[in-house]
Amino acid sequence: MPDLKIEATVNGRKVSKNVAPFARLLDFVRDDLNLTGTKEGCGAGECGTCSVFVDGVLVKSCLVPAAKAKGAKIETVEGLARSGELSVLQKAFHKTGASQCGYCIPGMVMAATAAIRSNPLVSDDEIKERLGGNICRCTGYSKIFEAVELARDVMNGARPATALQEEEVDEGQFIGANVRRLDAPSKVSGALRYAGDTVMPGMLHVAVLRSPHPHARIVSIDTSAAEALPGVEAVVTSADVPGVDGFGVFVHDQPVMAKGKVRYVGEAVAAVAAEDELTAKRAAALIKVVFEALPAIFDPDEAMKAGAPIVHDYAPDNVTKHIPIRKGDVEKALAECDLVIENTYETQQVEHAYLEPEAGLAWVDHDGVVTVLSPSQNITNHRHMLSRIIAKPINKVRFIMSPVGGGFGGKEDMIYQGMLALLAMKTGKPVRLVFTREESIATTAKRHPARIHYRSGFMRDGRLKAIALRMVSDGGAYGLSTEGVMRKAAILGAGPYDIQNLQVDTIGVYTNNTPSGAFRSFGALQTQFATETQMDIAAEKLGLDPFEIRRINMMRNGAITHTKQKLGSVSIGRVLDQLEKAAQWEKGAPAQRGDSRGDLGTDGARRACALDARFVEAPTKTMKSEVA
Amino acid sequence: MARKRGRGMAASWYGIARTATVDRAGAWVEIDDGGTAKVITGVTEIGEGILTVLAQIAAQEVGIRPEDVTIGDNDTARSPEAAHAGATRQTYMIGNVVALAARDARAKLDAVLAKEWNVDVGTIKAAGGEIWAEGTNHRIEMSEAVHLSKSRGVVPLGSGSFGTDTTGLAADDGAGRPWQAYVFGGQVAEVEVDTVTGEVQVLGIWAAHDVGRAVNPRGVEGQIEGGIVQAVGQALMEDYKTEKGQTTTPGFAKYILPTSLDVPKITSVIVEDPDPIGPLGVKGIGEPAMVPTIPAIMNAIYDAIGVRIMSLPATPEKVLSALREKRNRDEERARIVAE
Amino acid sequence: MLTCDDYLTPVTLGEAFDAMENHRGVYRLVAGATDILPWAREGRAGDVHIPVLIDIAGIPELNVREVAGGNVRLGAATRFQRFLDDKTLAAALPLMPFCAVWFADDQIRESATIGGNLVNASPAADGTPALLAHDARVVLSSRKAGKIVQRTMPLSEFATGPSNTMLAADEILVEVQCPALPKHGGAFEKVGHRRSLVISTVCVAALVEIDATGERFADVKLAVAGIGPVPRRMTAIEEALKTKALSSAILEDAADSAGDLVASRTRQDYRREVVRGFVLRALINAALRAGASTKLISREFEAKYA
Repeated sequence: MPDLKIEATVNGRKVSKNVAPFARLLDFVRDDLNLTGTKEGCGAGECGTCSVFVDGVLVKSCLVPAAKAKGAKIETVEGLARSGELSVLQKAFHKTGASQCGYCIPGMVMAATAAIRSNPLVSDDEIKERLGGNICRCTGYSKIFEAVELARDVMNGARPATALQEEEVDEGQFIGANVRRLDAPSKVSGALRYAGDTVMPGMLHVAVLRSPHPHARIVSIDTSAAEALPGVEAVVTSADVPGVDGFGVFVHDQPVMAKGKVRYVGEAVAAVAAEDELTAKRAAALIKVVFEALPAIFDPDEAMKAGAPIVHDYAPDNVTKHIPIRKGDVEKALAECDLVIENTYETQQVEHAYLEPEAGLAWVDHDGVVTVLSPSQNITNHRHMLSRIIAKPINKVRFIMSPVGGGFGGKEDMIYQGMLALLAMKTGKPVRLVFTREESIATTAKRHPARIHYRSGFMRDGRLKAIALRMVSDGGAYGLSTEGVMRKAAILGAGPYDIQNLQVDTIGVYTNNTPSGAFRSFGALQTQFATETQMDIAAEKLGLDPFEIRRINMMRNGAITHTKQKLGSVSIGRVLDQLEKAAQWEKGAPAQRGDSRGDLGTDGARRACALDARFVEAPTKTMKSEVA
Repeated sequence: MARKRGRGMAASWYGIARTATVDRAGAWVEIDDGGTAKVITGVTEIGEGILTVLAQIAAQEVGIRPEDVTIGDNDTARSPEAAHAGATRQTYMIGNVVALAARDARAKLDAVLAKEWNVDVGTIKAAGGEIWAEGTNHRIEMSEAVHLSKSRGVVPLGSGSFGTDTTGLAADDGAGRPWQAYVFGGQVAEVEVDTVTGEVQVLGIWAAHDVGRAVNPRGVEGQIEGGIVQAVGQALMEDYKTEKGQTTTPGFAKYILPTSLDVPKITSVIVEDPDPIGPLGVKGIGEPAMVPTIPAIMNAIYDAIGVRIMSLPATPEKVLSALREKRNRDEERARIVAE
Repeated sequence: MLTCDDYLTPVTLGEAFDAMENHRGVYRLVAGATDILPWAREGRAGDVHIPVLIDIAGIPELNVREVAGGNVRLGAATRFQRFLDDKTLAAALPLMPFCAVWFADDQIRESATIGGNLVNASPAADGTPALLAHDARVVLSSRKAGKIVQRTMPLSEFATGPSNTMLAADEILVEVQCPALPKHGGAFEKVGHRRSLVISTVCVAALVEIDATGERFADVKLAVAGIGPVPRRMTAIEEALKTKALSSAILEDAADSAGDLVASRTRQDYRREVVRGFVLRALINAALRAGASTKLISREFEAKYA
């Protein structure tokens, strides 16, 4: 294979490297030049973590063949603060708190730099348009907009350079002060290394063979062809697990790699460690697995019916967990209510979509300690589980938490660290696995989808007298956090209201779908979506303002919760008062009154986006009278 | 009008730290040479700003500045257990335990100084890198204090453990004490619905949240803004789909996330109702920030166009289809009335 | 992932044809590469090995950009971003900036080429309906017996189905030609599941010229994508409107037939409804940008659709 010779100027320095003919500019920058501030978030041009300048033009380097960079001037995020001093824009990101996990931030800084370079007086709306190709999953973009506007103003003199400095703090009173994030400089400059940016001498690369079937018995696995491929150092399957094979947050029902059968599409079946990624991938494709398809189940209500395919033998009804909460007599109370509202709600499976795909390294150190470095949200629990899986004492297992490029609950599960440990033990070398975006989406846990049947009963004066709520949730193929999600959904589901009659059931069910797991707000989002819609419907039917109906029913100091816990101070009244005031809410019952409201279009609402920022000052006057 | 606006609101509540089980965290703090401090605890940054929060807490408790604080490895073999990074527990569990450990370290240092200066230990105060005895002329740099302490054979080293007084739930009726700290929130959403395409734009969100005591208000806002935009995604566009177990949304071209053009302007209102149990009064905000957003948006859509979306997400197609059904219903009703 | 044994970067058309002949049957042409790289990933084509990639983006003939004599010549490697930053181009092709701003994002527009968008022949391509409305013609080049020859055809005849075009195996799409339409007003309406970097569910492109009275359509060009196997012109509506006085009634009548063009079976009700609304919205916006008097369109009508 003839290598391509790439001669280019990168951050002002001439470089010359031989790369594979199919290398992307992203690979050239990261792997050949070790400039890892440029990240790979999706590999498909959809996220912007890999943005770099080529001859002054910002492009997504995952979509640029390296060959196109021959002779070009390339500028990466590392080039922005070359003197060691952050650029004005980077300082502005630091000042406003525009970085959180930081994984999107180098790309975001580059896109913002391009926006200001292209138009030093770029408008607030045009900033948004020019950042439209860069996804951020943490910040909600608000502080990023604030940073770019600040940098623009400082650069064109509209605001003084001192606006970039940290706010003064009174006499050591740091609690309560807007101290700038200590980790921001490392994030805005691209200096921070995440697990996937980390390289160890002699490191091997890992590829995973995954199940194409939702439910199938594994008849046989033949790894001989893969092992024979030059460059391959080891292949592992569940047969390589020396201890008790099982992990999970509440129930250890998931093997490190499929054992006996596969339960979802994308489940790991075998893993390969090889000298380079491509060899590992090719070897994984050479593993021969004979599957015997089993009947599969995809709907949680169907899964609970008699005769449905059984996902796990220990749970023949496919119920992972049922959490009941009971208080008073719901049926009697509903019969006495003036108004009963009955509805069914549905929420979908949601992907965490952290910009950093899963990645990890494992090695066995000089004392025989099996060490795993990964962006795990739960190293304590992972250490316990891995020690049982590899049958070593706890102090021979070490987990290091690398900077997490977004988690939101999705990195609580030990879905790949076990494979890495096995491969490090088998090869005696450091091994690294970096998920592709597609692998991350298809194989990691999602937010639980929910089907919620809801009845709530009210008295004419607005009092909420009873709630009957039943949520059935698809937990997918493995338990992960389902039990905890069902519990939180149940405890909080009926909302911050004082209710005497309550019947809540949340049921997590096994199916052969992609597993559901921990996700920011953990079940409470699903049930409270239903509760708060029911409240709005009730307000409409009873002619009450939505704040008012909530005040009538809210918990007060000393309230007894749905789980019969006595509370101390309850802040919901204060929260509602301050919210109503801040939003300048116009009182009234919900009755499709959008047309007649007087509180719309205040400073708290943005202009609707029309993608017209670049046409507002356009040469033809007619464009100004545009109506769409 | 083709584009219709409306507003809706929703309230919410949430529990802080692990649910229906005893939560716990540990930390070590060493007041170190040069008037710096090492904080060692088994957790790292997942983006929420916990390292800065811990540095602020340690700095204030020790009497130095946040930039003087080094937060150590998040390593099961090198640091005390802090359990996991989730459950809106970081500021509450780790923040409180770092305060306890910092106070413990200070107590060691203060004892040395009290003896040295012959003052009551309660008169010793420190802030911003200086330490002094109130009502006296004794005032030295923290670096000097550390040097002095070490020269007397005392390394100013503290540890802390923070646990919750919580229980599991009864199997029959769910009774129990799942958390010791609760937070409450509420949000108002303003939307514009394009009745030609069914597209919904969320133009504004006002978010009021009790966070206990805000350690870093800008960081709290960042959590609120980020949570809201994730919820906007779930409300309007995100939808992980499978067909016979195989995903049909395998990449970001199919799995649609909110971009800079899809996000509302956000006004955060931080309400402080301090937690009476922990040493700092802090609670949390990570997860609760996104709980009321979706119903507030759906209620706003109803206000704008009179349709209730009860199945998420409210895609343009779903909104237009609901409008079509409403139109047919209204026409049918008008027809019946006419007859 | 996409792998190859060789990545060639010819700098002349002749070199490109040499490469195509030398690697007959095992090569693929690339220009911006913004479609092929995402295509060769899991969930789509999977791992793909193409022995030889021939990158034609650097060939001078594909980088022509010229507005002269009432005609616009655009090399096939013209990037979409040029419609936003080249004012001469924007004035000659008044619809293209409105299309470009909806096309992917600023960064991809710096890589993605008009030729690539046409050759990929996606049913939902944003660039195709806009260029169709501009009466674009495509210039296809090949080498016959050592001599470089060209043929030209209307863009409306180029795409034959999803991913299928009239481009022969030995041909390169080198240029797109359009008449300059400086007096027309343009509009581009698009809906997807968000507003940036998203595939169209439906998009409608419109060009309108208003006659000297300021009250009549002198010319109407309308095209749509996302409703069938290939983007298409809406000629019946165009004909119905030409020379007619601008009014709410005439626009409504014209738009009523738009939904009938929806051939896609998925989301058909949705597409029918949106196409109708988009035709109205695009015509109103294009007419206003062409200098039509706003008095002619009733306020009520404008409020309802725009």
